[in-house]
Amino acid sequence: MIKDYFSYAFKNLKHRKVRTWLTMIGIVIGIAAVVSIISLGQGLEDMVTGQFEDMGADKITILPGSSLMSMGMATISLNQKDYDAIRQVSGVESVAGLLYSSKRIEYKEDSEYTFVVGLPLDSDSKKVFDSMQNFELDFGRDLKDGDNNVVVVGSSVAQDDKIFKKGVSLGSKITIDSVDFKVVGVLKTLGNEQDDRSVYVNIEQLRELIDNKDKYDMFFVQAKSNFDVSEVADDITDALRKSRDLKEGEEDFNVQTTEQIQESFGTIFSIVQWFLIGIASISIVVGGIGIMNTMYTSVLERTYEIGIMKAIGARNKDILMLFVIEAGTLGAVGGIIGMIIGGGFAKIIELVAKNALPADLLSAHLSVELLGGAVLFSFIVGMASGAFPAKQAASLKPVDALRWE
Amino acid sequence: MLFEYAKYAFKNIRHRKLRTWLTLIGIFIGIAAVVALISIGQGMQNAINEEFSKSGADRLTIQPAGGFAGAYVSEKLYESDVDVVNRVKSVEFATGVIIQTGRIKYKDQTKSASIFGVGSDEETRRFIEKVDFFLIEEGRQFKSIDNNVAILGSNIASDMFDREIILGEKIFVENKEYKVIGIQKKSGSPMHDNMVRITTESAQELFDLKKTKEVSMIFARVKPGIDPLMVAEDVRDALRKDHDVKEGQEDFIVVTAEQMIEGFNNILLVIQVVLVGIAAISLIVGGIGITNTMYTSVVERTREIGIMKSVGAKNSDIVSIFLMESAMLGFFGGILGIIIGLSVSKAVEIAAVYSGINVLKAYFGYELIAGALIFSMSVGIISGVMPAKNASKMNPVDALRSMI
Repeated sequence: MIKDYFSYAFKNLKHRKVRTWLTMIGIVIGIAAVVSIISLGQGLEDMVTGQFEDMGADKITILPGSSLMSMGMATISLNQKDYDAIRQVSGVESVAGLLYSSKRIEYKEDSEYTFVVGLPLDSDSKKVFDSMQNFELDFGRDLKDGDNNVVVVGSSVAQDDKIFKKGVSLGSKITIDSVDFKVVGVLKTLGNEQDDRSVYVNIEQLRELIDNKDKYDMFFVQAKSNFDVSEVADDITDALRKSRDLKEGEEDFNVQTTEQIQESFGTIFSIVQWFLIGIASISIVVGGIGIMNTMYTSVLERTYEIGIMKAIGARNKDILMLFVIEAGTLGAVGGIIGMIIGGGFAKIIELVAKNALPADLLSAHLSVELLGGAVLFSFIVGMASGAFPAKQAASLKPVDALRWE
Repeated sequence: MLFEYAKYAFKNIRHRKLRTWLTLIGIFIGIAAVVALISIGQGMQNAINEEFSKSGADRLTIQPAGGFAGAYVSEKLYESDVDVVNRVKSVEFATGVIIQTGRIKYKDQTKSASIFGVGSDEETRRFIEKVDFFLIEEGRQFKSIDNNVAILGSNIASDMFDREIILGEKIFVENKEYKVIGIQKKSGSPMHDNMVRITTESAQELFDLKKTKEVSMIFARVKPGIDPLMVAEDVRDALRKDHDVKEGQEDFIVVTAEQMIEGFNNILLVIQVVLVGIAAISLIVGGIGITNTMYTSVVERTREIGIMKSVGAKNSDIVSIFLMESAMLGFFGGILGIIIGLSVSKAVEIAAVYSGINVLKAYFGYELIAGALIFSMSVGIISGVMPAKNASKMNPVDALRSMI
């Protein structure tokens, strides 16, 4: 029975080719826009949260400032006392404290400002970094304990026309605050502009350069494997509050587990994405109105036909189904085409991004749920748009309908 | 003649009420979305730019190079640099400001906030009085005899602590007691609304800067009638000479107010273009709806077209008749869309004001209204071209023979 409805719907749609195509294009465009926005948005989110994934779920990040977003804006900093307080917390396996400073780097005739990151090289800190997979070397070697006057650089520093006209290479000499450093390693592209543009030195040497024995800008903590990470994070918050003499709610620092960081980024992404999807959905609404319009016309044109069907025994329900299915088919076929076009568009963007950007950063995420959902959604939009015209058709009196034209 | 076409088109549109309405809805939803987005975006940009030109157009900001004023910047500026800037001929007045983060205690709550150390002498006060984010809502600016007094940003006074801080009350900054003598006007920028302003001397003491004489930022006002960009160049020259650095090697940045807001304007523009672009997709869909309606209309009126042709209507007449009809659909859709779009943006503005945001302003420019109307009419005309051509190419004999 349902099959008959569909074949009747197809026959009718094929009969009025131009109108069917134009109606479908409306839905196609709307669905294509939404599908490409969702798939690219999902891909972007996966990429960002994936970077944190590489840090490992057992990591806790501690930054000065009361929120993640105030990083680098506040003049608050962390210090050795904070380090000691964190080290005392029972679930903490090891702690690494980092120091940042923006410095003018000289290389050949060029000189530009960029971040110098001071990395701790003791064995305790090494343990933290070794289990983090995001910093991988492309060439050369890592920094070692006791290293002096050597530097590992982010990938942008080694590329031409990024920071310097001619990128640095292994063995190059760069100068920071009139101290010469030899480049011993180049990192793989991380995809994070700031880290890729940074240069990495022994924290002790950076302390000498900025003449500060006490300050830290960030801590990475590795939690012990038999402890719950979020509980360790809570304990660290308590310990820091005590050492910094603050009450609850007055924190001027921020403790977050990898999962929490992923969540906060995920939230921002969803808000932006839903806003864009909302605006793009307007076109689906307009497309739905187009279906409604076409269906009203269709009902009008087929008044006589409806009269005959009713005269030979079709019930109101049958007529209603007939037109609802026709409208739903319009929506679903439009949805399938829209899904293909939207997915294809997202893939093209992915290809363009692959060629324009250094690493595989942006990938279109085309999940079965997304594709299936899009078709189902457009089928529903079609049926909903067809509801009113179908009702009108169903409530026609056979006598009036037959008398029509 | 044109009037006749219009009358005929109007009659036809009214004849098929339901279809016309549905087609119109398709167009006005799109126009309303685009108009609302442009209106809000443009209004926001205007509000910010106006605020800026009122009190900041003649201002230069000098910062240490290497990023925002913040924890990671290692370059420094000193009071001697303020003197250098003050000696530049085209500069009317320059003053150094200390920006630090400190703990604020009120009753038994402690919070961290930006502490601004600002001069209290007569000349600086006259300068400060005209800086948009230092304006006073209640109380007064610093006087040179002031000691241990503070002026609060609007958020610090009203939102940060459980109880609102009022004039004359005491707060602690880094464990030192200050009396609140002023509360700033809300500026809309979180950085400036969350500041506690104290005098330079007090800040130097608090953050141990008495000896080094460091300042975080220098604000300067240019002499009236001189292009701020030229003055910025003069200041750059003077500081370069003083710091003994070559061009391109500066350890400081000089920006005019216009340059500061330029970046912001660019971001706003990009966001607006993206949003309007996505919203405009629905206009295309609406336009296709017009095409569809017009095709149906042509099919339904085949016989009518045949009669018109047989009594002497030229192809161009038929094209004009149908184009007029679709243009009219676009026009009415546009009018409805503009009314709805502007109402939406006005509603957003009212909602924003209600929740304390004062930069979201709806913009009702003639060019926006006229532009939207012309645009929606063009969409109507373009959407009608194919159906109208179809109609005009009909053979009168076939058309008359048609059953419909």
